[in-house]
Amino acid sequence: MIRFENVRKKYGDTVILDNLSFNIEPGEFVVLIGPSGCGKTTTLKSINRLITPDQGKIFIDGQDISEVNPVKLRRKIGYVIQQIGLFPNMTIEQNIGIVPKRLKYSKSKIKEITRELMEMVDMSFEDYAHKYPSELSGGQQQRIGVLRALAASPPIVLMDEPFGALDPLTRSTLQDEIVKLHKKLKKTIVFVTHDMNEALDLADKIIFMEKGEIVQMATPDEMLAHPASALIRDFMRKSSSSADSSDLTAADFMKTKFFSVYKKRSIRECTDLMARQHIDSLLIKNDDNTYAGIVTIRAIKKHGKSSGSIGDITPHVNITSNISENAKESFDKLYATDDNYVVVLEDDNTIAGIITKTGMATAMADTLWGDMQ
Amino acid sequence: MSFFNTYGERLIDAIQIHLFYVLSSVFIGFVIALILGIILSRIPRYANIIMPLLSIFQTIPGIVFIGVLFLYLGMIPATVIIALAVYAIFPVLKNTYTGLMDVKPEYIEAAKGCGMSPIQTLLEVELPLATPSIITGLRMSTIYTVSWSVLAAMIGLGGLGEFIYIGIASNNNALILLGAIPAALMAIVLSLLIDGLRRLIVPKGLRSLK
Amino acid sequence: MNISIILEHFYLVFMSVLFSVVVGLPLGVLAYLNQTLQKIVLWVVEILQTIPALALLGLIMIIFGAGKLTVIIGLVLYSLLPIVHNTFIGLENVDSGIKEAGKGMGLTKYDRLISVEIPLAFPMIFTGIRIATVTTIGVAVFATSVGGGGLGSIINQGIRTQNMELIIFGTLALMIMAIFFDMLMIWVNGRLVKRSSN
Repeated sequence: MIRFENVRKKYGDTVILDNLSFNIEPGEFVVLIGPSGCGKTTTLKSINRLITPDQGKIFIDGQDISEVNPVKLRRKIGYVIQQIGLFPNMTIEQNIGIVPKRLKYSKSKIKEITRELMEMVDMSFEDYAHKYPSELSGGQQQRIGVLRALAASPPIVLMDEPFGALDPLTRSTLQDEIVKLHKKLKKTIVFVTHDMNEALDLADKIIFMEKGEIVQMATPDEMLAHPASALIRDFMRKSSSSADSSDLTAADFMKTKFFSVYKKRSIRECTDLMARQHIDSLLIKNDDNTYAGIVTIRAIKKHGKSSGSIGDITPHVNITSNISENAKESFDKLYATDDNYVVVLEDDNTIAGIITKTGMATAMADTLWGDMQ
Repeated sequence: MSFFNTYGERLIDAIQIHLFYVLSSVFIGFVIALILGIILSRIPRYANIIMPLLSIFQTIPGIVFIGVLFLYLGMIPATVIIALAVYAIFPVLKNTYTGLMDVKPEYIEAAKGCGMSPIQTLLEVELPLATPSIITGLRMSTIYTVSWSVLAAMIGLGGLGEFIYIGIASNNNALILLGAIPAALMAIVLSLLIDGLRRLIVPKGLRSLK
Repeated sequence: MNISIILEHFYLVFMSVLFSVVVGLPLGVLAYLNQTLQKIVLWVVEILQTIPALALLGLIMIIFGAGKLTVIIGLVLYSLLPIVHNTFIGLENVDSGIKEAGKGMGLTKYDRLISVEIPLAFPMIFTGIRIATVTTIGVAVFATSVGGGGLGSIINQGIRTQNMELIIFGTLALMIMAIFFDMLMIWVNGRLVKRSSN
């Protein structure tokens, strides 16, 4: 159905696609995944010629797409983007009808298609067809975005992180719907994501890319069983809901953005910093970068003087964890203390990060239900 | 009342002439500006040079332009209309250009992805999304043009400026007001009409976005 | 004699913009602070701008007589719009987090305005002053019609006597003045923005 042959693309000196070759069968749901900058979006966009490769050829049904008029090509390929991109000046019905109208479908036919598609995602034509995109929620908008791509029943649909901007609940509903639509309509779908859960849930075949090359192309089961590289394993561990929680350490949950000062800093500077950053305590370091304790705004007030250095105030001995400590132990400590956070230390007693109570809650949610961002 | 008996008819004449200058020059200026704005938005690299050059041109006072055209074309309405049209261009051009450039790239990408040709993208997506900005430009142009049309009287071509020039020359309070008030009212009424037009043609889906 | 006319023009513009700032800045602040006055102030300055410049000058002349005072008053009224408008918008657009922080630190409304909000809005206010300056340089050509002199007198004389050289001289002087101040103030504003973002 779609075939890449030795496709290369460079921006300046950076290689985006490096001699890419692969084949996608008709009706397959293929997910492109990999770290940022791996070339997955570039790959996707070269299928509908939004991007033109420097070298190599791409075939759709055996035809070299560089020989097809891009406008005509795109009308046969559905396209869904993360920013949704419903045209705000058009109603939902007009948005869905964009491509069919250009393919000169009759008005009644377009209406019929719109109604049918909207029913498939449980949005009633009567209630929504004449609304404008700004009147819909993000999830509803992206449903329409998907329908718009399907309206002219293109054999291929491209999706560029279509659910990336949605909240987790809406995202999973839409994922279910897309699976249903795929089963029903038997389209060839090429789907870009950076969320391994999404890839594992949706894909018939996953293409894992890194630095413009394919690292592994396999079914979800195969990839789970035999990840081809450490990076893939890492991707799966981070997002897999079946991750073994006993493996998790303090390092997995800590925030690395924190504010620390040396003892010789003046109290005035420290209070300024706290005011600017809206924080009520600072981590104090010794001259050799090792952790000395924390000073809270209350301790500074109690100290009563704004002259002198922060080292003049005896630091509070906050609870600490070693970076490789099991996460559960850190949580237990945090749970048991009045301190607002645990200070995570490296083996040499320098500060690695902090685990806050809210950080703990979101981190747990992350591991349980995937990336909350 | 005798004042109005003396001037009533001339006032109506003057308002008509003034309005004629305004409408025709704004119309011409608007059409030219719209086309230029669209062209410039297709070549942003050059537009970055052309727009500042045009704004330099804009610093030439209207009086000079009318004066110079008068020397070449003589005392005909075209002199006034051409000069005013040139001044009406800039606000619309600037707002058309920025309005088009401000259309979010995702809409253009979505349009392309839907297989719209560049012309279709322009007509059905970009221009509708830029209308609020374009109409703001039209409003500015219109208000300025009402004001600049006073200059028609400088070269003896009538309009409300006639009363103002005579009033200033003869220190006649009432005559100046007779020119100034209708001119200000004309500017206000026209800008209200344009606000109405905005309500009519700005796509409905854009309004709640503001 | 030509130089003195340019200086005369410059004097008119300078005085007008100066007083326009003196009047316009407080009006903009007032519009920002008081919801009721906001509508009135913004409406009045917009109406002022719809009156043809020449007519405005003529009307003021009736009260204050022909001369520079009339011109300056007229130009002040005419250049209020960009200054008031930009002051108001600039203050409105100050990041709400920063306003909140000021409140949270216990600064009074007045204190916040002086030490936080106006400084942050200043680049925007300065842009308003720039627009006012450039516009005023152009509008000041009408000064001559009400006995205020300036470059308008040269241009008018040129048109009357069909003397192209005079027209071109007057126009070029105007354009150069406008472009010079425009660029100068853009440059100053760039420095202001840079300093405040440090």
